Amino acid sequence: MSNPILETRNLTKIYGQNIIFKDINLKVNEGETIVIIGPSGTGKSTLLRCINLLTANEGGQVFLDGQEITAKNYNEDKVRQQIGMVFQNFLLFNHLTALDNVMIGLLKVKKMSKEQARQKAMEELKRVGLEDRASHYPGQLSGGQQQRVAIARALAMDPRVMLFDEPTSALDPELIGEVLGVMAQLARDHMTMLVVTHEMGFAREVADRIVFMEKGSIVEEGTPDELFYHPKNERTREFLWKITELYGKKEKEQSATA
Amino acid sequence: MNIKRIVVLLSLIVAASLVLSACGGGATAANHLEAVKQAGVIKVGTSADYPPFESVDASGNKVGFDIDLMAEIAKRLGVKLEWVDMPFDSLIAAVQEGKLDASISAFNYDADRDEKIDFSDAYYTSEDAFTVADGFTGEIVNPEDVADLKVCVQTGTTQDSWLTDNLVATGKLPEENLFRYDRVDQAMLDLKNGRVDVMMSDYVPAKALADQLGGLRIVYQGVLSSGPMNIVIPNGDAELQQAINEIIKQLQDEGFIDNLAVKYFAE
Amino acid sequence: MFSTFFSYIIQGTAITIAVTLVALPFGLMLGLAMALIHTYGGNILNRIAAAFSLLLRGVPPIVLLFILYFMLSSKSFNLSPFWAGSFSLGIVSSAYQMEILRGALLAVGNGQMTAARAVGMSRVQAVQHIILPQALRLAIPPWSNEVSIVLKDSSLVYALGVPEILRRAQQLSATTQQPFLAYGTAALIYFVLVFATNRALDYLSERTKLPTHS
Repeated sequence: MSNPILETRNLTKIYGQNIIFKDINLKVNEGETIVIIGPSGTGKSTLLRCINLLTANEGGQVFLDGQEITAKNYNEDKVRQQIGMVFQNFLLFNHLTALDNVMIGLLKVKKMSKEQARQKAMEELKRVGLEDRASHYPGQLSGGQQQRVAIARALAMDPRVMLFDEPTSALDPELIGEVLGVMAQLARDHMTMLVVTHEMGFAREVADRIVFMEKGSIVEEGTPDELFYHPKNERTREFLWKITELYGKKEKEQSATA
Repeated sequence: MNIKRIVVLLSLIVAASLVLSACGGGATAANHLEAVKQAGVIKVGTSADYPPFESVDASGNKVGFDIDLMAEIAKRLGVKLEWVDMPFDSLIAAVQEGKLDASISAFNYDADRDEKIDFSDAYYTSEDAFTVADGFTGEIVNPEDVADLKVCVQTGTTQDSWLTDNLVATGKLPEENLFRYDRVDQAMLDLKNGRVDVMMSDYVPAKALADQLGGLRIVYQGVLSSGPMNIVIPNGDAELQQAINEIIKQLQDEGFIDNLAVKYFAE
Repeated sequence: MFSTFFSYIIQGTAITIAVTLVALPFGLMLGLAMALIHTYGGNILNRIAAAFSLLLRGVPPIVLLFILYFMLSSKSFNLSPFWAGSFSLGIVSSAYQMEILRGALLAVGNGQMTAARAVGMSRVQAVQHIILPQALRLAIPPWSNEVSIVLKDSSLVYALGVPEILRRAQQLSATTQQPFLAYGTAALIYFVLVFATNRALDYLSERTKLPTHS
C-alpha cells in the first residue's frame, strides 16, 4: 500500500479546559472519499480546520504528501492552496460575482493572468453546472447554487485534498441533492475527499470509508458495509440506528457481533 | 487599489506640504527686526471685527484706524505688510508663540499682559464709556454707580479686568450681573434689547456703534481702564520695539495720527 | 452693498471645503490604519489603538486645534493656520472614523476571513481583497454622518484666523450690524453643503449596493 496522501498522527485539540479531540490518527489514501460521522460537537469540524491549519493544534502532526505541514515555519498559505475547503455556510465572497469568486484565488494567490484565470474559472463553474450564473452575485443565488460555486472556488485551486464541513446542513431539503450530486461526481473522478456530514445516504453510497467519531476520539472506522451492517461497537450501532431512523429509512440490522 | 501604495503616497504628500509650509524664515538674522527686514514682510495680527479701528468693507478689504496706521509703519520700516486676521482672544497667544511678528487691535496697555508680551509706546489714547439704551432711567454719575445694574463687557478687554477687579472682587457688583460677550456688537444688541442695563467699553467704538444702531447713548466718558493704545510685540524684542516707537513718534509729530483720528472718529 | 458682502462670505466656502477636503481623507487614512491595527493587531497594538481612540474622542476638537497650532508648531516646524486646523480636525475625525470602520470590519464577519484563508490568501491579502471592499460598503451610511460633522466642525478653524465662512460672517456682522443676516447666510451655506454631500453619499450607497434576489 502506497503512502497516504493525508495523515494525522496523535492530533490533539484543547480549547481552554475542554479537550475537543485527542490523539486522532487518520490515514487518507489518494482518491479515497472518507466520510466522518458522529454526534454534533464532537470536534469533527475542528478536525478539518486543524488539517488545513485554519486552527492551531495542541499536539500531534499532520502530513500532506509525506511532508509535515504542522512543522514550525511551514508556509500555511501554501498549504491551503493544496487543501480545498467547503463550508457549511458557503462563505462566498459577497461583493464578487460567481465567476470572480472562483477567479480571485487564481489571480491573487496563484498569480495567473486574467485570461488564464477566467478560462479556468469558467471550466470549474461548468463542472458544477453553473456556467450560466457566472455574472450573478451570491445574493442572487439559491443556497444550493452558492454551495456549488463554493465547491468550484475550492476546486479551481487544483487541491490535492478537498475538505467538506457539513456542506448540506444549511440547505433546504430540495437543494441538498444538487450539491451531493456534484460531490458524488467528484468522488467518481477520484478526488481525495474528507467529508463531515449527516447525510447517511451519501455516506453509504459514495464513501470508501466511514469514520465514526464521538467524544473526541475515533470510535470505529471501516467500509460502509462494515459500519452499517456489522458495526463492531455498540455506540456505532446505536448512533447509526438512531440516525437512519430519523432520516426515514428503517433498517434494523441484526447484531451480528457478540 | 493597493492600499499600501495609497497610504505611502498620501503620507508623502502630507510630509511634503509640512516641509513646504515650514520654509521661510532664515535663521541667519541676528534678531527679530533683522529677520523681518530680511524676509521683507511683517506679519501683523488683528481682529477685523471692531470698527472703526479694524473691520472689513463690502469687498472684504480691511479698513480702519489701526489698519491705516500699521500700513504706514510697515512702509517706514521698509517691509511689506501681511495681515493675519484672528479672533481677538487668539492674538496675544499668536504673538507669544511667534506666529505673528506683531499685533495691532486696539490693545490697551495691561500690566498682566505685559508679562507675556511687550507693548510699543501709545499711538493713541482712548477713553472708556458707559453706554445705555434710550429707555434707561437710572443715573450714572460715578463709575461705581453701575454696580447696582446689569453690566455687560467684552471678554478679555481692559474694561473686563477693571469691572472684575474693582466691582466684582470687592463685592459691589454681584458676579451674575456681569455679562461677558465675545464681541462688542453682540453686547450692544443685548443692551438695546434691554437684556442688560449698561455697557462698558472703549469710547470710540461705542460711539460708532451707538450712532450706527441708534437708540443708545453714552452717559459717561473718561479714562478708567483704557487709556493708551499700543501695538503688541513679542516679549523682550527691544529692537522691534525701538523701531516702532521711533516711527510712532514721527507720525505723531507729523500730525499723521491726528488726521487718522479725524478720518475715523469724527463726531 | 449686500451682494458684495454675500460674495465675501460665499468666498469663504472654498476655504471651508478645502479644510474639509484635507481633514476627511487624512482622518480616513489614519482611522483606517488604526481600525486595522485594532482589529488585526496583537494584544498590545490593540490596546494602543483603543487608547488613541478614547483620548481623541474625549477632547473637544477646538482644544486640540489650539494645542496643535499654538503649542506644537514653532518657528522651525511652522504650520500655517490652515494646515494646523485641517490636520487637527483630521486627527480628531480619525478617532471617530476608526470606530465606524471597526464596526464595519466586524460586521463583515469572521467567515469571510476564514474563506479567504482557505483559498490560500494571506491575512493581508484577505483584508485587502475580501474584507475591506465589503467593510467600506457597509461603512458608507455612518461615514456620511461623519462627513457632515467634519464639514460643520471646519468652522472651528475660525479661531486660528482661517478666513472661512464663520470668520467672514463675524466680520460682516461687525461691519454691517446685521448679525442675523450675516450668520443666517453662513448657516444657509453650511446647510446646503451638508445636504448636498449627504445626498451624494446616499446615492453612492445605492450604487454600490450588492444585488440580491430580484
